[in-house]
Amino acid sequence: MNFRPTIVAFLCNWCAYTGADLAGTSRLHYAPNVRIIRIMCSGRIEPTFILKAFKEGADGVLVCGCHPGDCHYQEGNYKCLRRFRLLEKFVSQMGIEKERLKLEWISASEGKQFAELINEMTGTILQLGPGKVQRTLELEHLKTK
Amino acid sequence: MEEPRIGVYVCWCGTNIAKMVDVEAVTKEVSTLPNVVLSKNYKYMCSDPGQDLIIKDIKSHNLNRVVVAACSPRIHELTFRNACEKAGINPYLFEMANIREQDSWVHTDRNEATKKAIDLVIAAIRRVRYHEPLQKRSVNVDPATLVIGGGISGMTAALEIANAGKKVYLVERAGHLGGQVARFDLTFPHLSSAQQMLRPMIQRVENHQMIAVHLNTELKEVSGYIGNFKAKLVFMGAEQPEITFGNIIAAVGLKPFDPSVIEEYGYGKFPDVITSLEFEDKLRAGKILTKYGKEPRNIAIIHCVGSRNKKYHEYCSRVCCMVALKFVHEIRAALPEANIFEIYADMRAYGKGHEEFYAMTTHKQIIFLMYDQQKRLPVISEAHRDDDCNMLIEMNELLSGIDIEVPVDMVILMVNMEAHDNVKEVVRTIGVSLCGNQFFIEKHPKLDPVATTTGGVFIVGTCQGPKDIPDSVAQAKAAAARILGTIAQGSVPVEVTTAMVNESLCCGCQTCISVCPYTAVSFDEAKKSSVVNEVLCKGCGTCGGCCPAGAITSKHFTDRQILSEIEGIMSMSY
Repeated sequence: MNFRPTIVAFLCNWCAYTGADLAGTSRLHYAPNVRIIRIMCSGRIEPTFILKAFKEGADGVLVCGCHPGDCHYQEGNYKCLRRFRLLEKFVSQMGIEKERLKLEWISASEGKQFAELINEMTGTILQLGPGKVQRTLELEHLKTK
Repeated sequence: MEEPRIGVYVCWCGTNIAKMVDVEAVTKEVSTLPNVVLSKNYKYMCSDPGQDLIIKDIKSHNLNRVVVAACSPRIHELTFRNACEKAGINPYLFEMANIREQDSWVHTDRNEATKKAIDLVIAAIRRVRYHEPLQKRSVNVDPATLVIGGGISGMTAALEIANAGKKVYLVERAGHLGGQVARFDLTFPHLSSAQQMLRPMIQRVENHQMIAVHLNTELKEVSGYIGNFKAKLVFMGAEQPEITFGNIIAAVGLKPFDPSVIEEYGYGKFPDVITSLEFEDKLRAGKILTKYGKEPRNIAIIHCVGSRNKKYHEYCSRVCCMVALKFVHEIRAALPEANIFEIYADMRAYGKGHEEFYAMTTHKQIIFLMYDQQKRLPVISEAHRDDDCNMLIEMNELLSGIDIEVPVDMVILMVNMEAHDNVKEVVRTIGVSLCGNQFFIEKHPKLDPVATTTGGVFIVGTCQGPKDIPDSVAQAKAAAARILGTIAQGSVPVEVTTAMVNESLCCGCQTCISVCPYTAVSFDEAKKSSVVNEVLCKGCGTCGGCCPAGAITSKHFTDRQILSEIEGIMSMSY
């Protein structure tokens, strides 16, 4: 079967989500694999959200916030960054390749960069193949049958 | 909690969504999900009949939750929340799925786009089940207004507000009012004097009882929120007493592009290659003379300097073509015998009376020469000793296709309007965003061009994008009207999606307090729990992101709501 990766993306309302909307109003085409969840600030991102996405079968998880210094809430993106670096280590210890989890800064004017980012990440995930957590779950699912 | 009864509405947005997303399939797919009472699709959900559909259904089917799959919530979330409220349910029991900007407009495979739409609608349905009614909150509005920038836009806004009897603090970095317009001689297309228009205005501002003008003053720090801002001003290095105000108008203007980076034009190297603003200075002084005090016999005006060229700025500055034509009239009046060359890339005469002005100018015995802005810029060089002129412009004249040399004694560069260097500082101080060209971003490009995404902060004039005087004035008056509206109301609705603490779960680690950028969280020693000051909280949710106990979270962005959204998004992937 053809592998159709799913990427769950958490976008902050003020920069990244607006940038993704701009990609739309500019009619920039990108891979249809991303599913966007809007949050007010990247600082809101809890490790649980990311782990939950992987557990539910996401092949990649993307977090996008405002560029450093441009946070609508002054410094939520820095808080996100610090927590993210720790989470990256944790996730790779869980056996999830680090390329599957990405943090990028996208401003409200970077529709083009957002489209490119999604294409690039989709490409990376396609090369990696389906996420491990999902496969483990599928095996368990088969066993119980 | 009462059992959720959800109504789902999928919008076609004409063909904008329906062309790429099978709205019928989406409607059908989600109709059988738990708690979904009905699912429908309609051509334009945001239209009155679309909203009426929701209102009627809420009443007749006793719905208590609504999901609309349409454009970005940034555009119509409020519209549909209001519709819910009209029908008698709490506006926060509504969720929107973005299947236009983030789906139909960005994908080319109808199957994939439809699948994505289904995922997003399911996510919204799962999420809305856990939405809770939130009560609107409002705060009183301080009737004073801070206007940043004393150019024509800032002064217009200040006068408009002050004339309504409300206090204005007008802060200007420079030592005088007037901004860029203070440098202009005549204005286009009526050739009336800029100074005769400006001077009485400056006097009205300076003498107005309700306007406090702060010249040579910088804005140091702004804190607070809509209706209740505070700021520190710094006058020539000395800090001033704090001022309080309810709204902010940013009218910080622009700066002319520095053409010395364009090698072809030799600005800075040839003394008689000058910018359009330097030429305005000469006009105001009443003398058009070269560096060596001679009347120029040949004058060239080069358009689009730094504009419409990817190397410098891609955008058009909008006013320079008309200013260049205005120069023709002024030169012709002063030097009837001079040869005038308009070296242009495209002539843009879009405004009221502009095309007529262009037509009128063509009768002034001038020579129009077109150049290819993208391929080859004209090159200015020093003339030979035996040439009867100062400089030569070598160019390829686009309409004839011929390479020519233009003799000139003075060259006027029609420089682009660009954002100020310190615009990033302003952005940080007042909390607005910049577009790719460093201009402030408006809340909505069409429907809300003077507000920003930060409540109580408005943008007017050329800091929002290049524009002429009438457009700047119109925008300034629009912002003033918006502000006077909130002052008249006396109070404005504020963020209700603030943080909240479940005191029984709080372990007292106080991490939330250390990460809050607004000092909105404090520790209650008696309760041994963090508490949120809802007036200070702006709802970023950073506290919720770091709480080890899951005790603090953001209203409307709770863990349960977001986790359900994730489950919904992934539910069809197996």
